[in-house]
Amino acid sequence: MDYQFHWNIVFQKMPEMLQGAFVTLHVSVLSMLIGIVIAVLLAIVKMNHSKPFCYVAIGWIEIARNTPALFQIYMAYFGLGALGIHLSPYVAVLSALIFINAGYLAETFRGGFMSIPKTQYSASKSLGMNSFQVYRYIILPQMFRRIYHPMTNQFVWSILMSSLGILVGMGELSGETQRLQSLSFRTLEFFIVAAVMYFIITKLVLFSSSLISRKLFRGEI
Amino acid sequence: MKILKNIPVMAAALTVLFSVNATADQLDTVITRGTLNCGVVLDFPPMGYFDKNNEPAGFDVDYCNDLATALGVKSNVLNLTWGDRIPSLISGKTDVVVGSTSDTLERAKSVGFTYPYFVFKFQVFSKPGKNINSFDDLKKIKVGAALGTTYETEYLAYAEKKGWGKGNYTAFKSENDAFLGLYQGKVDAIISTNTNIATKLQSKEFKDYVAGPFVPNYDDVVGLITKRSEVSWINYLNLFLVHQIRDGKLDERYNKHFGSDAPADLIQALRDNK
Repeated sequence: MDYQFHWNIVFQKMPEMLQGAFVTLHVSVLSMLIGIVIAVLLAIVKMNHSKPFCYVAIGWIEIARNTPALFQIYMAYFGLGALGIHLSPYVAVLSALIFINAGYLAETFRGGFMSIPKTQYSASKSLGMNSFQVYRYIILPQMFRRIYHPMTNQFVWSILMSSLGILVGMGELSGETQRLQSLSFRTLEFFIVAAVMYFIITKLVLFSSSLISRKLFRGEI
Repeated sequence: MKILKNIPVMAAALTVLFSVNATADQLDTVITRGTLNCGVVLDFPPMGYFDKNNEPAGFDVDYCNDLATALGVKSNVLNLTWGDRIPSLISGKTDVVVGSTSDTLERAKSVGFTYPYFVFKFQVFSKPGKNINSFDDLKKIKVGAALGTTYETEYLAYAEKKGWGKGNYTAFKSENDAFLGLYQGKVDAIISTNTNIATKLQSKEFKDYVAGPFVPNYDDVVGLITKRSEVSWINYLNLFLVHQIRDGKLDERYNKHFGSDAPADLIQALRDNK
């Protein structure tokens, strides 16, 4: 292939690419934090078999895990739009990612809960703790320690999947890259630099997550 | 950090991958292969779209077929999005893109343009009752356009010049999504080409919508694109475009898709290369 790479045009547009990268990081961090909270609830509800809620949890988890992210993002934007509910591209992508993260993490968390011996529930109860205290002091700390690494994988997944925001015109890293390349048609250069930026973002996230785990769990992981 | 050590190796691998020299030129390749791989954006009626039988159709598709006939080869039309046009050329999937590509000098640093083959106007298309009389009326309402198009660039440049900012603007992945967004009410108006808008006005979904003002002082002059290095191929394509006018094919195609002979100012603009 006879192709000369022109990199300087990409570096001229670096501020706009970095702005896009910031949006990518922003939406994935937020979708992860909210997703974790919902996932804990979904996992607990699914394990407790209390009828109406249990069905909601199962429905959520099944749909989130077994349909493409692309479909969910499209539905959040144009699907709800057909019903007259207009989310901004950012909110549409954020809610689709929260939906998926919660579904996936719920199953991970359920696995984490199951790995903790049932006797610990009974032991805590016999010490006079109520259900909330059992989860807060005994179960959740151990559960998060066990599922910490799968949770980090989900985080990386969120960062990479937020690139589907390009579908609904969101100005995250991929969307910005697409817009910038159309001005100069230096498509390969722009997307290669974007790929490197995704790489750096995920590496940074993995690095800081291992720092956090060392601090939180003091090596007992 | 092992990865850091590997970066020079990866860079070297990339360089090798992309530096194999071309020998036969594109014109030779197409004739020898016996097939013209022609890229068209097929969600941009009446230039490119799928007809009732789900076959590619439109002005650009006809130009691909005319070009294949002139070359004496089979025509293979490939469906592209706006963003796919350049990668498809560089990766060799297409020989030429007949894709209403605006011939900016910035882009000409990257791809090879032929003479112009069409001139569009950019127009505002709005919901009924929005009263858009001039381009400046867009300040008050939500505006959208397809991502990576020249009208997006023109709108954003205009908005920046007037100090409106990007807050009211929404980008859509494709031309169809922009019209869908307008139909659902995500935006109050979109910017598209006069030709596409004229087609949409004939559909029952959009018959009450309003075709508003044109983007001020802007003619969208578009050319065929191919690899920048393929000079003899571009020569051939240029002569092909001259023949389309001289042999009456332009009129014929214009009649088929727009219902009249090509306007004199369009033909004059193409003859003058502007």
